[in-house]
Amino acid sequence: MKKLTFLLIILTGLIVSCTKNFEDYNTATKHAQEAPGQYLFANAQVALANVNSNTNVNINNWKLFAQYWTETTYVDEANYDIVNRNVGTILFRIYYRDILADFNEARRLVNAEVTIGAAGEKAKANKLFMIDLMEVYTYQQLVDIFGDVPYSEALNIENLSPVYDDAQTIYKDLLARAKAAADGLDASADGFGADDLLMGGDIAMWKKFANTLIVKLAITLSPVDAALAKTYIEGAYNNAFAFGESATFNYLSGANSNPLYQDLVQSGRHDFVAANTIVDLMNGLNDPRRASFFDGNMTDDAGNVIYIGGVYGASSTFSQYSHVAPRVEDPSYGYVMLDYTELAFYLAEAAERGFNVGGDAATWYENGIKSSMSYWNVLEAESDAYINSPDVAYATAPGDWEKKIGIQAYLAFYVRGLEGWTSYRRLDAPVLNIPPTPAEPADGMVPKRHTYPIAEQTLNGANYSAAASKIGGDRLSTKLFWDVK
Amino acid sequence: MRKITFLLVFLLLAGVNFAFAQSRTITGKVTSAQDGMGIPGVTVFVKGTTVGTTTSIDGEYELDVRPEHLTLIFRYVGMTTQEITIGDQNTLNVVLESDVMQMDEVVVTALGISREKKSLGYATQEISGGELSTVKRANVVSSLSGRAAGVQVRSTGNMGGSANVVIRGNSSLTQNNQALFVVDGVPISNANTNNSGQLTGRNGYDYGNAASDINPEDIESMNILKGAAATALYGSRAANGVVLITTKKGKKQIGGAKAFGVTINSNITTGFMDKSTFPKYQNQYGAGYGPFYGDPPYAGFELIYDVDGDGNLDYTVPTTEDASVGQKFDPNFSLYQYDSYDPASPNYLKKTPWTAGANGPETFFDTPISLTNSVDVSGGSETGTFRLSYTNMDEKGLMPNSSLKRNNFLFNGSYDVVDNLTVSASANYIVTDGKGRNSTGYSDNILSSFRQWYQTNVDMGMQESLYDKTGRNITWNPVSPTDLAPAYWDNPYWVRYENYETDRRERIIGYLQADWKIDDHFSVMGRASIDTYSELQEERKAVGSGSGEFGVGRPDVTSGYSRFDRSFMETNMDLMLRYYNQLTEDLNLNAIVGTNIRHSKTDQIFASTDGGLIVPGLFALANSVNPMRNPEERVTEIGVNGIFASASLGFQNFLFLDATVRRDQSSTLPKDDNAYIYPSVSVSWLFHNNLNVSWLQLGKLRLNYAQVGNDAPWGSLKDTYAQNNTFGGTAVFSLPSTKNNEQLRSENTSSIEAGLELITLNKRLGIDVAFYKNNTTDQIMPVAVSTATGYSSKYVNAGEIQNQGVELMVFGTPVINKDFRWDVTLNWAKNVNEVVSLADGIDNLQIAALQGGVTINARVGEPYGTIQGTDFVYTNGQKTVKSNGYYMKTGTSDKVLGDINPDWNAGLNNRFTYKNWSGSFLIDWQQGGSIFSVDLWYGMATGLYEETVYTNDLGNPVRNSLDEGGGLILEGVTEDGSPNTKRVAGDDYAVWGYGQNPNAAFVYDATYIKLREVVISYSLPSKLMARYNWIQGVTFSVIGSNLWIISKDLPHADPEASQSSGNIQGWQSGVMPSVRNVGFSINLQF
Repeated sequence: MKKLTFLLIILTGLIVSCTKNFEDYNTATKHAQEAPGQYLFANAQVALANVNSNTNVNINNWKLFAQYWTETTYVDEANYDIVNRNVGTILFRIYYRDILADFNEARRLVNAEVTIGAAGEKAKANKLFMIDLMEVYTYQQLVDIFGDVPYSEALNIENLSPVYDDAQTIYKDLLARAKAAADGLDASADGFGADDLLMGGDIAMWKKFANTLIVKLAITLSPVDAALAKTYIEGAYNNAFAFGESATFNYLSGANSNPLYQDLVQSGRHDFVAANTIVDLMNGLNDPRRASFFDGNMTDDAGNVIYIGGVYGASSTFSQYSHVAPRVEDPSYGYVMLDYTELAFYLAEAAERGFNVGGDAATWYENGIKSSMSYWNVLEAESDAYINSPDVAYATAPGDWEKKIGIQAYLAFYVRGLEGWTSYRRLDAPVLNIPPTPAEPADGMVPKRHTYPIAEQTLNGANYSAAASKIGGDRLSTKLFWDVK
Repeated sequence: MRKITFLLVFLLLAGVNFAFAQSRTITGKVTSAQDGMGIPGVTVFVKGTTVGTTTSIDGEYELDVRPEHLTLIFRYVGMTTQEITIGDQNTLNVVLESDVMQMDEVVVTALGISREKKSLGYATQEISGGELSTVKRANVVSSLSGRAAGVQVRSTGNMGGSANVVIRGNSSLTQNNQALFVVDGVPISNANTNNSGQLTGRNGYDYGNAASDINPEDIESMNILKGAAATALYGSRAANGVVLITTKKGKKQIGGAKAFGVTINSNITTGFMDKSTFPKYQNQYGAGYGPFYGDPPYAGFELIYDVDGDGNLDYTVPTTEDASVGQKFDPNFSLYQYDSYDPASPNYLKKTPWTAGANGPETFFDTPISLTNSVDVSGGSETGTFRLSYTNMDEKGLMPNSSLKRNNFLFNGSYDVVDNLTVSASANYIVTDGKGRNSTGYSDNILSSFRQWYQTNVDMGMQESLYDKTGRNITWNPVSPTDLAPAYWDNPYWVRYENYETDRRERIIGYLQADWKIDDHFSVMGRASIDTYSELQEERKAVGSGSGEFGVGRPDVTSGYSRFDRSFMETNMDLMLRYYNQLTEDLNLNAIVGTNIRHSKTDQIFASTDGGLIVPGLFALANSVNPMRNPEERVTEIGVNGIFASASLGFQNFLFLDATVRRDQSSTLPKDDNAYIYPSVSVSWLFHNNLNVSWLQLGKLRLNYAQVGNDAPWGSLKDTYAQNNTFGGTAVFSLPSTKNNEQLRSENTSSIEAGLELITLNKRLGIDVAFYKNNTTDQIMPVAVSTATGYSSKYVNAGEIQNQGVELMVFGTPVINKDFRWDVTLNWAKNVNEVVSLADGIDNLQIAALQGGVTINARVGEPYGTIQGTDFVYTNGQKTVKSNGYYMKTGTSDKVLGDINPDWNAGLNNRFTYKNWSGSFLIDWQQGGSIFSVDLWYGMATGLYEETVYTNDLGNPVRNSLDEGGGLILEGVTEDGSPNTKRVAGDDYAVWGYGQNPNAAFVYDATYIKLREVVISYSLPSKLMARYNWIQGVTFSVIGSNLWIISKDLPHADPEASQSSGNIQGWQSGVMPSVRNVGFSINLQF
C-alpha cells in the first residue's frame, strides 16, 4: 500500500507541475499583439490603392465596365458576368475587412495613444482627421459601387447582422465628416509622418485633399440635392488641389509594386487589349494621349503607328490590337486617388449647374483637359491644338454640357476604372457599347451598379433582402440614387 | 558491420541473466494438432494473474509458478485457447487445435491494454501485418482500403501522396476528421503539410501524410478502434477513431531452443497506367477555341502572320490557345506550327502537315518501378528479446524524373531487469527523400494541361526532342510567332527536369517503458515516448519558365525558389497503475488509474525568393530579384494533461462491464476553464452460454455509451495582428481575418453503439454487426460572418453533426480440409451523416471555394461536404433551354449538386490455401458519393475528349459549322415547356463545357468497384526445409494491386483520385491516372 501512495503522489505531482506554462504555449510568438495605429493606417492605404489599381478579374472589372480595355480569350467579365467569380463577395471583403476595419482599428489605437503636450494633442487630432478622410473616400466608393451598404452598424464584430443604410444619408454624413476634417486639420502640427504612404505626412496637402473630396461628393449628390451640393462646393473649391497637385499612391517594387504590373507583366498573361470604345473615340478626336495610353504595336501599310481596339466583349487576338502603354505597366506606376484634373471637370459641371466656382464651365473644362495632357506628358502645343479643335473646344463640341464634359472627363480618367465608369453613369457620356452576350442581371444595359455579395444573402439575409427591395432590386441594371437621368 | 552490431546486442542481452526464481518451474512444448510442429509465440499465463510468458521458436516455454497458481492458460491467435490444471506436474505439453473463428482472440485496446475480444463492449477490427506487408504500398494507410468496415480510405494517386482515413464519417466541421495512429502505444503525427493553396486546388505538391513513414514490414498487426467507447481512454485526439499498430518483436528463448531468426524480404513492383483513368482524346481537330481568328478575308481557325517575311500572309496555328476546338486535321494542308519558329527545330521556318500529334500525352509517362528490400533480425534470451530491422524502399514514379526513397531502421527490445521488472525500448529512425513529386490542382500542373488545356496536334516526341536537344523551354504554347514565351504552358519535359521539387523528412519515433509487477494484484507501467521529425520541402522554378503562382504570397513569377522548413516534436509521458483481483469465484475486477502528459511543438518557416532568380540555376534565397517577402513563420505549442480511470468487471466469464472516465486539461482553452471530463460505459454479454443451443458457438451482445471532449485549435483565443510586407520603411499591420474568442469551451462528442456477434455452423460462419449514433456538439469553429463586420469569420462554439450507421462483417470458411482452405471476409458499412445545426442564423458553412465556381460546404439538413454550384433550371422536370439554344443556369451558385459521402462501402476478401500455395483477392467497392470534375468542366470546353466529336442528327460531323449542317440540339424544353429545337454551334467552345453549362453538368457519381489486390504465394515445403538446417522458410509471391476498375461512372479518371487528404474532397483537377501494379517478392527466413 505504501508503494501505491507513493505512486499516487508522483502522479498528482506530475499533473500539477505541468500546467503553469499553458498560457505561454497558447501565445503567438511570431505575431504582434500590440501595434501603433500608423501601421494599420498604412496597411489600409495600401489595400485601398491596390483594389483600385489592379486588373484582376476576380476583383476589379471597372476598366472593363468603363470600356477602356476588353478581354482577349476569356470574355465573361467584359460581358458583365461578375457572379461566377463572386466579385461582389470579394469586394465587400476587401473594402470592409481589409480597408475599413484597419482604418477603424487605427482610430481605436490612435485614440488610445498617450500624447505629450499641445503639439501631441494636435498631431493626434490630425491623425484622426486623416483616418476619417480615408474612410470617407472609401465609403463613397462602396456606395458608388453598390448603393445602400452597411454603414452605421458596420465594423462591429458583436453585431453580425449590420443594417444597410440609405445611400443618400451616408453621402450626407460623409460630406459632414469631410468638412469637419477640412476645417479641423492643422497644418502646423504633425500627423503620421512618413508612415502616411499617400501624402508623406503633408497636412497642408491633406487639407486640400479634404476640400477636393468635398467637391467630388457634392457634385455626385447634386442631381438629388442641389442646394446642399452648392453650399459644400462653393465653400470648398477654393481650398482644393491646384494645377499639378494630386493624391497619388506611389508604388515601389517587388511585393510593393503596382498590382497592374503584377497582373499584366509578372503574370506573363495576355488577357487585355484596348477596347474599341475608347480607341475609336480617341481616333475620331485625333487625341494626342493615345501614344501615352497605349503601346504602338500596330502600324498601317505606310508604317505609321495606328491604334486599334478589340471589339468590346468579343474575343480578341492579343497580337492584333493595341495594348496598355509601358508607363502604366511599370512596377512603380502610381495610382491617382484624387487630383486636380478630376476637380476641374467637377467644377466645370458645377458651373453648368449654376454654382459659383470662380470660373465658367469652359475654363474649368479646358483646365481639366490641360491637366490631363500634362499628366500624360503631352506637349503643350499638341494639347492646345487638341483643345482648340472643333470637336473638343467647349463652344463648338457637339452635344449638351453633360456630353461635352462627360466625354473629356471619361478620357481624362483613363486607367482609373471606377472613376471612368462612375463618370459615364453620372453624365451618360460617351455612348458605351453593349457586349455580345451581356449577363442576364444587366438587362441588356451597361451595368448601373454591382450586385450585392452572394455571401450576404446567407450571412446577413434579412438586411440584404430589405436593402435589395429598397433600392429597386439587386440587379446590375438598378440605378443608384444619384443616377436620376 | 551490421552482423557485428547484431552479435554485440545479442551477447549483451543473452549474457546478463539473473537467476531470481524461488518457486517451481514448469516447462513444456506447445504443438499444433494439424502438423505436430511447435508453435512459437503462444501466450502462456497463470489464470487470474498477469504472470506469464510466450513460447519460443520451437514452441517451448518455461514458467515459474507459485503454490497458489492453479491453472495455466495457453492462448494463440487462430487456435482454440486451452486451460490446463497444473497439479503436481513439472512438464505440461499442450496440443492446440486450430480455431477457425478465433473466438478467444486477444486484442490490443486503448493505451496498449491487451484484452480478450469477447469482453469488449465495443467494435474493433483486427488486420494482420501479413496482409498489409505482402502488397507493398508506399503509404501503408492506403492498404487499409476495403479491409475494415466503417473505415473509409481515399488515396490521392499522387506519388508518395496522402491518404485520407475517416472512421464512421466526418464529425468535425472544420477540424481534423482523420483517425489517430498509435504505434506500440506511441501516438504518431499524421500531419499533412501541404499548403492551403494546394489543399484548395491551386497548384502545389502533395507531400503526403506523416503516417506513411510507418514501414509495413514492421507491422505485426493493426487493430482499429472505431467508436468513442473504444477510444475514450486516449482522450480528445482519438475521437475520430484509432488505428493501433503493433510492431513485430523478438521472442524469448525458452530452454535452449533457438530464438534467433533472420528474415530477408525482397520485392520488385512495376506499374502500368490504367487507360480507363486517362483522357481518351479526339484526334480530328486541333488548336483553337472556334472560328474566331484572323481578319477578313481570313476569318477562321488559323492566325494570319507573315512568317517568312515575303510580304504575303501565312496560315499559322493559334499557338497561344490551349484548346482543341480548331481546324479539322487535313494531312494535305500545311501551315506554320509552334516548332516552325525556333532555329533549333528541324521544322524551322517550315510548314508542316496539319495532323494529330504522333505521340499523345499518354506517351509522356515513365514506367513506375519500386524496389523494397528488408532484413529483419530478431532473437531473445530467457530474459530479453530484441528485433532489429532495416527496410529500403526505392520508388520511381509515373512522372519522368520522379522518385521516392525511404530508409527505415527499427530496433526494439525488452529485458527483465529482475523477475518482476521489465524494461523495453524502441527506436525507429526513418528517412524519406522525395524528388519530382507531381504537382497537383489547377494551373501549372502538367495533368491540368493534359486533362483541361491542350492541343491535340502537339507531338510529345517533338517536345521531348526539342528539350533534350536545347535544354530550353521550347513550348507548344508560345504567345505568337514573334513572341515565343509560353502563353500558359511550359514544355512538360522542361517542367519535369528543371522545375522539380525535392523534400526530405528525418524522423525518430521511440519509447522507453518499464513494467513492474508489484504483486499478483498490482502492476505499474511507466512510459516516455517521443515522435520528432524535421522536414524540408524545396520548390524550384527555373529561369525561362512561363509565369505562374509561386512562393510566399503566391505572386505570378517566371522563376523562383522556396523552402519550407518544419520541425515537430511530441512527447508523451504515461504512468498507469493496474489492479487485478478475482473478487469472488464469479466476479473479477480489472482497474486502472493513470495519467498522460502530452506536449507538442511545431516550428515552421516558409520563405521564397520574390520576382524571380537573378542567376539561373542557383536555387537559393539570396538569389532573389526583389527583396524577399516576409517569410511565413509559425510556432505552435500545445500541452494536454490527462488523468483517467477505468474499471472492468467480469461476471462468470459471460457478462462484462466497463466504465471509464477521463479528465483533460488543455493549453488551448481559456485558463480558467481548460479542463473537461468525459465518461464511457460499455457492456458485453455472451448470451450463447445462457441459451445453451448447440448450433450457436458464440453469441454476444455489445452496448456502450461514451462521451469525448475536445479542445480548441492552437491560438484561437487571443487576437494578434497580421504583418504584411514592409512598405518602404513603414511596417504594415492588419487585423486578422478571423476574430478569436476568449470564451471558447471544449466541444463534445457523445455516442451510443450496439452490436451483435454470432459464430455458428461449427465456427465456420461469423457475423458481426454494429449500429451507432454519434453526435458532435458545441463545435469550435471559425464561422463565416458578414465581412461588413470587419472580419470574415469568428470563432464560436456552435453546431452539431450527427453520424449514424451500420457496420456488417461476415466471415466464413466455406471449405476446409487437409489440403485446401477457403476463407471469405465481407465488410460492409453505411454511414448517414447530417449537419444538424450551425451557428445561430447560419445555415451554410463554406469549407472551401474551388476552381470552377463550386464550393464544398456544411449545410444544415444536408450531409457534411455538399458540393454546391450552379444547377440546371428545370421545367416540368426537364432541363430548360434558353432561346439561344443553350441550357439555362441558376442565377446563384448555392445549389446542392451532391455530397462527398458515399452511400456505403464494402470490401470482399477471399483467401485460398492449397498445400503450399496460397492466394487471395480483395474487391473494394464504394457506392455513391459525388465528384465535381474540373477536368471535364474545362476539358470538354476545350474539345479534348472524344465525346466532342461525333456524327450529329443530320448525319454530319457535329463540329461542322451550322451552315454546313453541324451543331447540335440540346435535349430539353424551352421556358414554355415545348421541346427545344434550337441548334447551337459545335465548332466553338461554348456548348461543350464550362462556357454555357451549369456546374451540375459535370458532377458525377463517385461509385467504384475495384479489384484492389491479388496475391499468389508459394512456400517451399517444410519437409524440404527440414533438410537444410540453416533455412526455415522460403516464400515466393506474385502480387497485383489496383489491377482493374471493374465499374465506375466518372469517365477518363479514377473517382478516388484527389489532390490531398483532409476535409476538402469531392473535386478533381489535373489528377494523376491510376497505376496497375504487378510485383514479385521473395521472403527468406533463417
